[in-house]
Amino acid sequence: MRSSNRTWLTLGFAAVILTISGCGYNTIQGLDEETNQAWSEVLNQYQRRADLIPNLVNVVKGYAAHEKETLEAVTQARSQAAGIKATPELLRDPQAFRKFQAAQGDLSSALSRLMVVVEKYPDLKANENFRDLQSQLEGTENRIAVSRKRYIDKVAEYNKAVRFFPTNLTAKFLLHAEVKPNFTVADERAVAKPPDVKF
Amino acid sequence: MSARLRILPCLLISSLWCFIVCGAAAIALDVPPLTGRIVDAGHLLPPDVSASLTAELEAHEARTGNQVVLLTLPSLEGQPLEEFSHRVATTWKLGRKGTDNGVLLLVVPGDRKIRIEVGYGLEGVLTDAVTSRIIRHEIVPRFKAGDFPGGITAGLHAILGTIEGRYQPTERQSPAGAPSSDSLPSMFLIAVVVGALVGVILGGHRLGLGVAGGGALSFLMALSTGLLLALLASVAAVIGILALSAIFRGRHSPGGGFAGGWSEGGFGGGFSGGGSFSGGGGDFGGGGASGDW
Repeated sequence: MRSSNRTWLTLGFAAVILTISGCGYNTIQGLDEETNQAWSEVLNQYQRRADLIPNLVNVVKGYAAHEKETLEAVTQARSQAAGIKATPELLRDPQAFRKFQAAQGDLSSALSRLMVVVEKYPDLKANENFRDLQSQLEGTENRIAVSRKRYIDKVAEYNKAVRFFPTNLTAKFLLHAEVKPNFTVADERAVAKPPDVKF
Repeated sequence: MSARLRILPCLLISSLWCFIVCGAAAIALDVPPLTGRIVDAGHLLPPDVSASLTAELEAHEARTGNQVVLLTLPSLEGQPLEEFSHRVATTWKLGRKGTDNGVLLLVVPGDRKIRIEVGYGLEGVLTDAVTSRIIRHEIVPRFKAGDFPGGITAGLHAILGTIEGRYQPTERQSPAGAPSSDSLPSMFLIAVVVGALVGVILGGHRLGLGVAGGGALSFLMALSTGLLLALLASVAAVIGILALSAIFRGRHSPGGGFAGGWSEGGFGGGFSGGGSFSGGGGDFGGGGASGDW
């Protein structure tokens, strides 16, 4: 009697484990962790950009002091972007996510305006220090693009697991997991749009 | 019933997805096959330069494990430079998995554009600023004069030199470079001591294994100080292992596995030296710099 009880228990246990792994419990949990990781990389690169800005503004100031407006816009956009606490909760709140995205987008366009203004100052452009900073800024923007793309891909994968059958049942009833917000193409276009040049 | 209603859009979306994927693949410029360390699809290099550069890149990989690859391309066909270069680098998976020590130099004469794409693992040495200086000071002036082989050779030499700590990009020192000369002796000593200790432990039962393992370990550890010092370190470690084991056991043993040990452990990059060449699984995060002429 006892041994058959144990057999049933083992079988039941195995069935539960198989069902859980079969219906994507581990997949969803794993993807959740991976999206968080990808998101941290995005934040990391945004932070790197924010750290570069004070140096850049100082160097530009030395050569182009009367571009005050543009410089102030950059500083202001930077502090605004830094003011948004980028916690993991941000990923669960689409509205806060949009705000964060918009702030970083503003900083991107303020920076690209600065880079256009700089074209008018040949002395500044010849300065090795400035060129180093410029290459670092370009590199960071590129890293941001890469990390954003990786985040977008990861979130798509996660969202698919949350939506597809049968993993959506696990997501809904067991994990209460929801679709994560992603960077939108519309914003990407606005950010990628070259700034107007007026002379 | 709602489940059945949901299946329809699912099917629609998946077929749409298929179209999008196929369409994107058709529009995007194809990543050329990785036929060697020099993929000269833009036909900028004479065969002798190409051969000597290949040999240099091969030797560099044997020394340091870094995979440095050149790609020339006639035109980008409207693709953004950074995106394409990142795609090539990640498709080819240059550098070792986990170490991510690959570098791609991309030259596109049709668009007059250059990019150095740096793997995660080398971003500390080949910083954005340093790669940008290499492009501006080494490559662009020669390209402007029409000397493509010279510019590419100088650029690759500067890249290899920076990694090995030989190249100083004009004026200031690079922000993060190879280990400074002060740390070399201590690195050497650590390598010898650790190698010897591990060797003695490993050699508890089979001395040959201990000698091979310890020698290889100290060689690898001292590799950042240079090839010659690394060899010296592994020899010193082997002597240390033999001496220590002799003290412990009170008997000498034939010094066997040394040669086999370091040729196995020292150069174990997992890449074939000649003939076919392939990436090792390295990843790129978008580091490096671009330039034009």
